[in-house]
Amino acid sequence: MAASQASLLLLKQLRDLCKNTVDGFSAGLVDEENVFEWSVSIIGPPDTLYEGGFFNAIMSFPSNYPNSPPSVRFTSEIWHPNVYSDGKVCISILHPPGDDPNGYERASERWSPVHTVESIVLSIISMLSSPNDESPANVDAAKQWRDQRDEFRKKVSRCVRKSQEML
Amino acid sequence: METGDEINICSDNEVNDYYGEDANNTDCNYDSLIKEEDSLDSDSDSPVAKKRPRLEGPPDRNYKVLKQSDIRERQEKTIAEVAMVLSVSKAVATVLLRHYNWSAGKVHEAWFSDEDRVRKNLGLLPIIEFPLDSTEVKCGICFDLFPTRDEIVSAACGHPYCVECFRGYIRTSINDGPGCLMLRCPDLSCSAVVDQDMVNSLVSEEEKQKYSTYLYRSYVEENKKIKWCPGPGCEHAIEFDDNQGWDVTCACDFSFCWNCVEDAHRPVDCETVANWMAKNDDESETKTWILAQTKPCPKCAKPIEKNEGCMHMTCHSPCRYQFCWICLGDWHNHINCNGYKEDKRKEVEDAKRHVQKYNHYYERWAAHNLSRLKAVSDLGRVQTEQIEQLSEIHGKTQIELGFIAEAWQQIVECRRVLKWTYAYGYYLPEAEDAKKQLFEFLQGEAEAGLERLHGYAEKEVRQFLNADERSVNFEGFELKLKSLTGVTKKYFEKLVRALENGLSEVQEAGKSYMEEHCISYFEICELPN
Repeated sequence: MAASQASLLLLKQLRDLCKNTVDGFSAGLVDEENVFEWSVSIIGPPDTLYEGGFFNAIMSFPSNYPNSPPSVRFTSEIWHPNVYSDGKVCISILHPPGDDPNGYERASERWSPVHTVESIVLSIISMLSSPNDESPANVDAAKQWRDQRDEFRKKVSRCVRKSQEML
Repeated sequence: METGDEINICSDNEVNDYYGEDANNTDCNYDSLIKEEDSLDSDSDSPVAKKRPRLEGPPDRNYKVLKQSDIRERQEKTIAEVAMVLSVSKAVATVLLRHYNWSAGKVHEAWFSDEDRVRKNLGLLPIIEFPLDSTEVKCGICFDLFPTRDEIVSAACGHPYCVECFRGYIRTSINDGPGCLMLRCPDLSCSAVVDQDMVNSLVSEEEKQKYSTYLYRSYVEENKKIKWCPGPGCEHAIEFDDNQGWDVTCACDFSFCWNCVEDAHRPVDCETVANWMAKNDDESETKTWILAQTKPCPKCAKPIEKNEGCMHMTCHSPCRYQFCWICLGDWHNHINCNGYKEDKRKEVEDAKRHVQKYNHYYERWAAHNLSRLKAVSDLGRVQTEQIEQLSEIHGKTQIELGFIAEAWQQIVECRRVLKWTYAYGYYLPEAEDAKKQLFEFLQGEAEAGLERLHGYAEKEVRQFLNADERSVNFEGFELKLKSLTGVTKKYFEKLVRALENGLSEVQEAGKSYMEEHCISYFEICELPN
């Protein structure tokens, strides 16, 4: 029952996103038969280091979505303090609610079932514009971002170029 | 990752601030609660109500043992009180109490100084009816449209969700853990609480139960004056009232320090214990070596396993060599070996010296710990078997034979104190020679007294257990065991007092202290035989 509720909701969101496209990204299913695996292409936000890049990611939804969050993993190479070296995105809204048993995170930072594919991708785009180096997933990238901004910029540019070549 | 950053962890320093208010529990003391427990729980295997022989110290009433029903009762009482005084529902009172660490006083204070602010911070919003003008309502989670309000629920904020989605939201949260007690409206910009009434109206019995268990546990875990007993399998909690002496003993007989939740360690302070335990973890390799249960006999080199509590060892025939387990010295010339004798040779490196010093103290700490555990099990056997047996053979009532159990209780307690004095000794500054001398003198006296008592209690009793009939020597045994118990108790009280005073007698009396104040160890050897 839960799985069918999740698939109905995901199908509905897919339809909405096809009808009304949102600036900055495009989304579709990896496999037409499976509504739980989405493929998302995110355009590097303008006026940031990532401008001009096209970054692909896979969103995997659990069967109890929207009560639990999906996981998001970049398949394109990306250098960012909040992205693990395997591409997994680490932002607070994607953490399962149980990660913060004391509930000290502000409501807007937690996962909530009101999040949609659109709101998640918009959060990822905002993460690209403003990295959070306080609790980094990629410590090397965070250090470089803080202390050697030029090196960081070079490395990101390489990722952007690479992503364009893959098109 | 991001989630961890904002969790506030209470530091130990805050502990001292907890005793200001909420003194509504002065009506019953430790003893009366235990009695009450006896009468209530008559079917459970008798909660141990026997009083431990405490070395002279703070009275028992600075803490209370709370069992499950006590905790529930208090929790309900506090919730009811706050609900009544503030004219709010019990569910709202619960939200308030949880936020203020279950202190009704703090809730009242905050509420009456600025109710609006408290409501806003905790998401206790005034109820908003959502507009009736729209005929169809859209669920904020599944985006389906619902024709009537019957299928829609909301917290006080009025954000609409369908029953199915909201139920799923609550269930997921309950199954994720105690965070469900802080549940808010799913809307990202909304902080309205989802209280227990709302939870109960939507979920199954099993989930309600789970929620209520988290709530029950939060009463102890978020209450700054109550802690769970760390004893294995124990479900009691201890409420602590003032800060003179941290050691508490639960009704399950487990003793621990309320402040640092280590094993009871009076007269040594928590910091020393924490340093010592951390050091022991660091030195685990030497520890493995020391913990090896066998040592070669110093005379015939046969491996010997220590199977009794007292340190006086006798090798098997034909060797029969008697020695001290700790220093392996000849028992006949042995008075004590507690003092650490530094290797004066200049070429000995500092590092080696440190290891030796540590080994000296650790070995004794560990040996007395093991010996205490052995004594605890022996005490159990004395109480269940020996006393009955002796009562049959020697025609004494079990009450008359109580002195044997008392002796063993004294042994257990003294081993505990002695164990921790070795942690104390390790950290005693080497430069403070006079203090060190006094400490080692008192410790030595106490230890020698205890070895004598332990050995006597352990070995002397055998002839009476194996006797076929009443023995005339039994009266002598009783008299001597009682005296040894009393004398040992005195030595330990003196030791505990001195350590708690930071060995301050040294400044007052200098070296003459020992001559003036201390009974010679040998005086107790003159007791009747």
